Amino acid sequence: MTRTKRSFAVALAAGAAAIALGMTGCAPSAGGGSGDSAVLRVWAGSATPINNNFNPFAVDTAVHATFGAIYEPLFFFNQLSADEPMGLIGDSYEYSEDGRTLTVTIKPDLKWNDGEALTAADVAFTFGYGSNKSEQFVSAEAPDDTTVVLTYTEPQFTSASLTLGSTYIIPEHIWADIDDFMAETNPEPVGSGPYKLKSFSDAAYTVEANDEFRDGAPAVEEVQYVGLDSNQSSQDLLTTGKIDWVGQFIANPDAVTGKGNITTMNQQQDPTTITTCANADLGCEGPQTDPAVRQAINVAIDRATIADKAFAGLAGESSPSFTLQPRDEQWLGDPELATSPQTADAAEAGAILEAAGYTKDADGFYGKGGTAFEIDLFSPDGWTDYNDAAKLISEQAAEAGIRINARTVSDAEYWTPIQNGDFQMALYGLTQSLVADPYSNYHEYFAGTSTAKVGEMPLVGQNYSRYTNPIVDAAVLAAGSTQDVAAKQEAYSAIQTEIARDLPYIPVVLNASQSFFNTEKFSGWPTEDDLYAAPLPYLAVANAVVLAHLTPAK
Amino acid sequence: MSFYLRRVAFYLVTLWAAISLNFLLPRLLPGDPAAIMLGKLRRASGGRPLSEETIQAITSILGAGKDMSMWDQYLAYWGRLLQGDLGVSSTRYPATVSDLIAAALPWTITLVGVATVISFMLGIVVGAWVGWRRGTKLDHLVPVTTVFQSIPYFWLALVLVAVFSVQLGWFPIVGGYDVFEFPAGPELSWAFIGSAVYHAILPATTIVISSVGGWLLGMRNMMVSTMSEDYVVTAEAKGLTPRRVRTKYASRNAAIPSLAGFGIALGFVVAGSIVMEQVFSYPGIGKLMIQAVQGLDYALMQGVFLVITLTVLAANFFMDLIYGFIDPRVRHNG
Repeated sequence: MTRTKRSFAVALAAGAAAIALGMTGCAPSAGGGSGDSAVLRVWAGSATPINNNFNPFAVDTAVHATFGAIYEPLFFFNQLSADEPMGLIGDSYEYSEDGRTLTVTIKPDLKWNDGEALTAADVAFTFGYGSNKSEQFVSAEAPDDTTVVLTYTEPQFTSASLTLGSTYIIPEHIWADIDDFMAETNPEPVGSGPYKLKSFSDAAYTVEANDEFRDGAPAVEEVQYVGLDSNQSSQDLLTTGKIDWVGQFIANPDAVTGKGNITTMNQQQDPTTITTCANADLGCEGPQTDPAVRQAINVAIDRATIADKAFAGLAGESSPSFTLQPRDEQWLGDPELATSPQTADAAEAGAILEAAGYTKDADGFYGKGGTAFEIDLFSPDGWTDYNDAAKLISEQAAEAGIRINARTVSDAEYWTPIQNGDFQMALYGLTQSLVADPYSNYHEYFAGTSTAKVGEMPLVGQNYSRYTNPIVDAAVLAAGSTQDVAAKQEAYSAIQTEIARDLPYIPVVLNASQSFFNTEKFSGWPTEDDLYAAPLPYLAVANAVVLAHLTPAK
Repeated sequence: MSFYLRRVAFYLVTLWAAISLNFLLPRLLPGDPAAIMLGKLRRASGGRPLSEETIQAITSILGAGKDMSMWDQYLAYWGRLLQGDLGVSSTRYPATVSDLIAAALPWTITLVGVATVISFMLGIVVGAWVGWRRGTKLDHLVPVTTVFQSIPYFWLALVLVAVFSVQLGWFPIVGGYDVFEFPAGPELSWAFIGSAVYHAILPATTIVISSVGGWLLGMRNMMVSTMSEDYVVTAEAKGLTPRRVRTKYASRNAAIPSLAGFGIALGFVVAGSIVMEQVFSYPGIGKLMIQAVQGLDYALMQGVFLVITLTVLAANFFMDLIYGFIDPRVRHNG
C-alpha cells in the first residue's frame, strides 16, 4: 500500500509540475519567433492528420494552399461577378473564329519560387501533361516566351473557366521527370503563387511570402493552415482570437461577431435540390418518374419555411432556371423563372395530380387504383440542415396528399446510390457554374451525354437524375459552339423552359456559405461593396487573391 | 504449467478469430469506396471530366480484389499482414496505414493510458478509505462520483472546453500540442513536452472524472464485505493498529477483483478514446478510426481494428498471468 501511495504522490506532483509548466507555456507569447501578428491563421478545412500532399492534380486530397497560394492558373474568374477574368500568370487571351484555337499571352519576366524563369514553354508543357489533356486536346505550342497556342478538335468557348481558370501551371523543369502524376505527393512544391511552403506537420502547415512573386512579396508574411476536426473547435478558436479566417456554417453568427473584431459574410450560390431519379427509360423506378408527381411536389413545398427552419434563415431563393440571379441576369429567358414558389400551394398540387389521373385514397393520399404511392427521400445522416429539410418536405407534401418518407443514411450509402441511380429522391447539392454563364450547369446536370443507365456511373458529368431531353441536348450543343450572345440566349431560354417544366431536380434553396474573418488584425478583406473575390478560405484561387490583398494592422 | 499452456492456446485461437473477423467485417459494410471517391472527386473538380486514367487509377487502388475470390483475398491479407504491411490509406492516399497508426498511437497510449491508471489508483485509494469509514459523511462521495460517471462523456468534455478553455482561457481548445508555437510539428525539447502535457490536462481530466466513480464504488463495496471476513476480525482482535489492518489485511484483498477490471480497462485504452479525441481534436487513434469508417477506408479501418484487438488481447493475457500469480485459486479452477 505504501508503494501505491508514494506513486500516487509522484503522479500528483507530476501533475502539478505539468500545470505549472503549462501555465508558463500559455502565457501570451513573449516575442517567440512565430508568435507575431504577421502570421495569419486559417482553418485548413481538413481534419488532422493532414495529408502531406501538394500535388495540384489531386483535386480532392491535396491541401488547400496548393491551389492558388502556391500553384496558379492563368486567370482568376470571380464567381461573384460577371466581370472579365483577372490576369494572374496570363495577360490576355483570344479565341479563333471557330473556337478551336486559343491564343494566350502571359506576363513577361515571371519566376518560379525556386528562382527559375517561368515562360510560355512551362504553360505549354502543363496543358500537355497528365489529366490536363482533355479528349479534344490536339497540341500546345509556345512560339515565343510569352505566347501559348492551344489547339483542340472542338470549339472551346464554354470551357474558358476550366482551361484558363482551373488548370494549375506547373514548372517543366520539375514535372518533366514525374511520370505517375496521381501517385506524386509533391512535398516540396515549386509554384508561382504569392506563397511558398515553409513547414509542414500533420497538425498544421505554414506558407511564407514568396519573394519571387511578380507583384512583390505579399504583405502578410506567413499564413498558417491549422487542421481541426470539428466546427465547434474552429468557432471556439475564432471567438478567442486564435484563428483569423474560417469558412463554415455557424447558426448564430452574432455569437462570434459580437465583439466587433470578427466580420462575417454570407454568399448563396450552390443550389440544394431534391434530385430525383427521373427517367424510367434509363431504368429509374418509382412514382417520381412521372413529371406530374414532380410538379406537384414542386408547388407543395413551403420553401420559405424550409429556408427559415432547416437552414437558419441563411439560405437564398433558388431558381428553376438554374441560373444565379442577379449575376446571370442576361441569361434568364423568362422572368417568371427567376425564383421557385416560396410558399406551399396544396390545392394546386392536388389539381396537378388529379389532372394526371391520380385519386385520393381513404387517408387522403394520392395514388392510382386506390393505393397511395410512397416516395423515398434520403439525406446523409448528420448533415442536420439536410435532415431537417427532408423532414419538413415530408410533412409539407403530406399536407398536399403526397406521401414522402424522409430517411437518413450513412455517407457510404449516400454516394453510391446517387451515382448508380438506385434511388427515388435524394437531397443533393449541385455546384453553381463558376462564371456568369450557366452553361456548365446545363451540360453537367441536364445533358444526355452526362448520364448513364441505372446501375452504371456517368463517365462524364453528374446527370444523376438520368434526365434526357432532345431539345435540351440540342440547345446545349448549340450554346457550346458559339460566342454569339443572342444565339446563346435563345438556346438557354429553350433549356430553361424544358427543365423548369420537367423538374428532374426540384430546387429547394441556395446553400449559404458563411465566412468569418478578423478585421482587427488584418485589413483589405472583401466587402459587400467590393466583392473582388469570395472570402472563403477553402475556395481555390479566390483564397489566394484575398490573401494577396490583405495587410496586417499596425 | 498446464494452466499457462491452456491460456496461451486460448489466446492464439482468439487472435486468429479476431484477425479473420477483422478481414470480414469491412467487406460486409454497404457502399463502394471507389464510387465514393469518384463522386467526391467529380464535385471537387468543378465539372472537369475525369480522365480515363484517373478513374482507372482510383478503381485499382480502392476496388482491388474485385475479381479475386474471397478466399484468395483472405490469403493475400494474411500474407501482407505477416510482412507487417497494412496497406495504403485511401482517404489519406498515398500515406501508408502503418505510418498513420505509428503517428497516432503514442498520443493515445500516453494520454488515455496515464488517465486510466490515475483514475484506477484514485478510485482504489479513495474507495478503500470510504469503505473503511463506511456510514460516515465520506459515503456521500459515492453518489457524487457515480453521477459524474453517468453524465454523457462527450457532453462533459464539451462543458469543460466551454468553461475552462473558451470562457476562462485556462486551457487550450484543440490539439495534442500548441500548433501555433510549434508549426513544424513535434520536436524533442522541454518546451514541447510542456506544451503536450498542458494540452493533455483537460482531456485526461475528462477521462478521470467520468471513470473514477466505477472504481471507487467497486472498491468501497469490496472493502465493506472484506472487513467482515474472519481474518480482518482476527487481526483487529490481535490488537494490530487500524492502519495496518486497513492496508495489509483489508485493502489488499478487496483490491483483487478490481484488478481484473483494470486489465479490461487497459485493453480498451486504445478504443475508448474516440469521443474524447473528437471533441479535443486530439491526434490519436480513435480519430483515425472515425475517419476510416466515415470514408470507408478499408485498409485504415482494418489497421486500427487490428491494433485495438491486439491491445485488448495483450492486456487481458498479461492480466491473466498476473492474476494467476496473485490469486492461486484461479490456477486450479481455470
